[in-house]
Amino acid sequence: MHGAMGGGSAAARLGTAARRARADPRRRSTSAWLDRQFARLAVLPTTVLMLLVFGVPLLFSLYLSFEGWSPEQSLFSGRFVGTDNYQDLLSDHAFLGSVAITFGYTAITVASELLVGLGLALLLDIDLPWISLFRTVLILPMMITPVVAAFCWKLLLDPDHGIVNYLIGSNVIWLGRPDTALLSVAVVNLWQNAPYVAILLLAGLRSLPSEPIEAAAIDGASRLQMFWHITLPLLRPYIVVALLLRTIFEFRAFDNIYVMTNGGPANSTMVLSMFTYLTSFVDFDLSMGAAASWAMLLMSMALCGLFIAVIRRREPL
Amino acid sequence: MVALNRRRLLQASIAAGGVLAAPQIKAQSKPEKLVYVGDNGPWHWVMVEEVAPAFEKATGIKIDFTLLPVDPWRARLRTELGAGSAGIDIVQFSVGMAGWIAPHMEDHEKLLPALESHGPDFNWNDFLAGTKKAATYDGKLTGIPYRITTGILHYQKALLEQAGVKPPGTWPEFLKAALAVNTPPQRYAFGIFGLQGAGMFVGWNSWHYSNGGRLLDFKTGEVFINDDKGVEALTFYAELNTKYKVVPPEAMTWAFDDIVAGGQSDRYAMVQMFAPYGTLINDPKISKTGGKWAWTTVPGPTSPDQGVTWIDGHNLGVPKYSKNKEWALEFIRMACGTQWQKRAMVRGNAPPLSSVLGDPAMIEQIGWPPVAAKALETGIPTPANPVWDTLEMQLRSALSQALFGQKTPKQALDDVAADWHRSLRRAGIGRG
Amino acid sequence: MSAPSRVGSRRSRLVFAGGVYLALIALTVVFLFPLVWIVGLSLKTRLQIFTMPPLLVWRPTLENYAGVVHSADFVQAFTNSLLVSSGAVLLSMIVGVPAAYAIARFPFRGRSLLFFGLLAMRMLPAIAVLVPMYVLFSKIGLTTTRLSVILAYTTFSLPLVVWIMRGFFEDLPRELEESAWVDGASRYAAFVRVVLPLIRPGLVAACILCLQLAWNDFLFAAVLTNNATRTLPVLMAAFSSGDTGVEWGGMTASGVLVILPVIIFSFAAQRHLVAGLSSGAVKG
Repeated sequence: MHGAMGGGSAAARLGTAARRARADPRRRSTSAWLDRQFARLAVLPTTVLMLLVFGVPLLFSLYLSFEGWSPEQSLFSGRFVGTDNYQDLLSDHAFLGSVAITFGYTAITVASELLVGLGLALLLDIDLPWISLFRTVLILPMMITPVVAAFCWKLLLDPDHGIVNYLIGSNVIWLGRPDTALLSVAVVNLWQNAPYVAILLLAGLRSLPSEPIEAAAIDGASRLQMFWHITLPLLRPYIVVALLLRTIFEFRAFDNIYVMTNGGPANSTMVLSMFTYLTSFVDFDLSMGAAASWAMLLMSMALCGLFIAVIRRREPL
Repeated sequence: MVALNRRRLLQASIAAGGVLAAPQIKAQSKPEKLVYVGDNGPWHWVMVEEVAPAFEKATGIKIDFTLLPVDPWRARLRTELGAGSAGIDIVQFSVGMAGWIAPHMEDHEKLLPALESHGPDFNWNDFLAGTKKAATYDGKLTGIPYRITTGILHYQKALLEQAGVKPPGTWPEFLKAALAVNTPPQRYAFGIFGLQGAGMFVGWNSWHYSNGGRLLDFKTGEVFINDDKGVEALTFYAELNTKYKVVPPEAMTWAFDDIVAGGQSDRYAMVQMFAPYGTLINDPKISKTGGKWAWTTVPGPTSPDQGVTWIDGHNLGVPKYSKNKEWALEFIRMACGTQWQKRAMVRGNAPPLSSVLGDPAMIEQIGWPPVAAKALETGIPTPANPVWDTLEMQLRSALSQALFGQKTPKQALDDVAADWHRSLRRAGIGRG
Repeated sequence: MSAPSRVGSRRSRLVFAGGVYLALIALTVVFLFPLVWIVGLSLKTRLQIFTMPPLLVWRPTLENYAGVVHSADFVQAFTNSLLVSSGAVLLSMIVGVPAAYAIARFPFRGRSLLFFGLLAMRMLPAIAVLVPMYVLFSKIGLTTTRLSVILAYTTFSLPLVVWIMRGFFEDLPRELEESAWVDGASRYAAFVRVVLPLIRPGLVAACILCLQLAWNDFLFAAVLTNNATRTLPVLMAAFSSGDTGVEWGGMTASGVLVILPVIIFSFAAQRHLVAGLSSGAVKG
């Protein structure tokens, strides 16, 4: 890595200072002990913080999901109800519907983001003048605050005054019909996140070895053949990572839906995050919200686990 | 108007007796601003543009208005009041919310003397009895009524006359009128609250009540919404969109602002909605259809007398946790007083004050008050039970699905009944 | 790696290049048009906005921006966003960078457990941790404070920092620290004086990405703040979810002002951004 020179001289300077310090017997034992504990001390703050903001809330949420509890009560004075909350959840057709919608939504958005992202990455990988300009410009959508992007798109999709309807010449009520609402939200997501996938895959493309391609070129392979038989297989690890990351993020999509449709129309965009939010903070049924959160958690962990298992099986490591 | 005098205010508060503990009064310094959290319905203009500046001029305190759409408004009040936070000084809440909000609010019965001590502008006797009752939950007066609403039928007189139909008093007459005045795509017959949101309930429930339908019994936990009457009412309502297509397509995105805008831009000939919205669509200064509207009570299935509607409204109150209660109360007194309410009525409010609603000059100018008064006689108030908000949300999705034809009315209402049973059980109401 | 220029005849190469540029331009137009249009709306008066057919050429006005900048609410929310984002980044960096180093370099007991925990943290849906967090914070009186938001943000910024920095640390050759240790330097000293300076690009990347995530967050801030402490996304959502009304000029102007800082910042450090995104990603 660059900076090796600087590192070397810094190390040398350190060494001299340390040798002088070693002369002091008292310092040797404590500092030696501290030194051995370095790794543990280095991770201590992280562990504590993790427990504080992640471990404790999650465990409390698990506890809450087995209680009948309302906010007027103090923390642990709920009534133990066993699996009632979960049973109520599973018998709520709105919840079941939102599970289906979430999986469907995740599938559509991840697949489309991957395809478009891959296309973008391939184009941006080509060595032509001014490619870097395109690269700079095309990552813009992913930096925009999702809430802002969502309401901007809401204006663009406005049936009467939006530019989209003007351009296509017909008066579609994008966010007002069950069939088009989910699609509209998915498209906005695609717009925001395809560049993210493109960056990941572009990094992958740039790190691939060039010999196989060059050899294939000499053998007279077409671009399409080279792509399909060489590039794509070599790119697989990166595609898998992109797939995994996007699945995680799309599964818990919230901002877009909150701003654009709030779960409607006719519950057609009621993804799990939206359902849990409405249950917890509008209905204020926090124990049900806790149960829904845990259901969501388990589902996303299962999804990721499934992913990783499938990958492991197909790749002989 | 009586000039605000701090000493007089302090005296009145002390006289009100111990609610605002004496040490607190001396220590309470004047805040820079008061935080008001309410919804963003189209009737706040006078409060925001006229009362608040007048209040600021008299006291030097700004009002920080946070006006949110219905769900975020509820979530905000729930989370902040639920945590006992002092960040809200004036709570605006609807009649249906009184149940869950009551524990967080001051007992305004004890504050009435302070409110009335400033002179005749605030006269508790002038407030409609029904609204006082609606603002009371579990024996506690949770706030001061600011707005009363009820559902009436608004129609463009000339359009019906031209089509040769009379203002409908029964459902068959209504359907006939709708089909006669439906001229898509320029103008449709009937506007509705199509957005899956808080407007769904008030859009449909007049039809439901008029058909003799009931929601539920909060004491026994019995649910009636999916009985025959309910299914009939939802079938009639949904078919207006799915079968007869007399509803503008964009109405499916309409919440409160939009339905008014639709009327102002002549997108529909008839609508069933809040009575005071009639002011907004009939004002020539802001509406294309200004001056063209007339009003009647909602039609009944076979006879006009069967028409029954809902009664709703909004209250203003001071939460227990606020650190600026005196000042908040002072603003509420101003806003709910007769003088400002008269002004508000002209700009779209419906004050629950009999002197204002019954004022002949007002009636002449505004038009709908007598119809609203008639509707209020038989109207059914929105339930105030704490679990009602949850039930209403579950009803919304069913209504939306029926309107889109995704479920049959019977399926939709059966699902609602199942949801309601579950929610009632969770809330500990009735048998499990 | 890209297909070398030896593929095909000169003519077919030109056609190929032409095709690529065409595709890129088309994509750029599609991706950027919405943004450009929105910026355009922010520079129009209300009358100009609602003119049909839409105006493509008009005299731009800054009145919307002036309105936003003078709005006390916006300025306050901007300050809050700044405080909360920097707080979260600072906390996560201070806590996470040493941990990433330890995970990358030293096999210690519980290392994989810790890493797995951080992974789980990264994968969890925000709402799942927000619900109990709200309850716990409200009981100890932390809700509506900025501190609660900063703590909440560490749920996603801490794993991100560790994730990214671990990649950078693993890339760093061990020889440099090892020579410092051999010469008797403590591990702490070696870390601070030898390793950190070399890893600066990674630090920058991690900072930028965390800043971006924190600045853009909505859900946590929406539940954990009130009027005085709300961040920009919360303010934005307050007047734009629900019906859009007619205030398009004001809405788009405030939107542009909200996204501008992150965009400027990200562009300035673009190289690091890309490095950071790809670093943590692959060595997962």
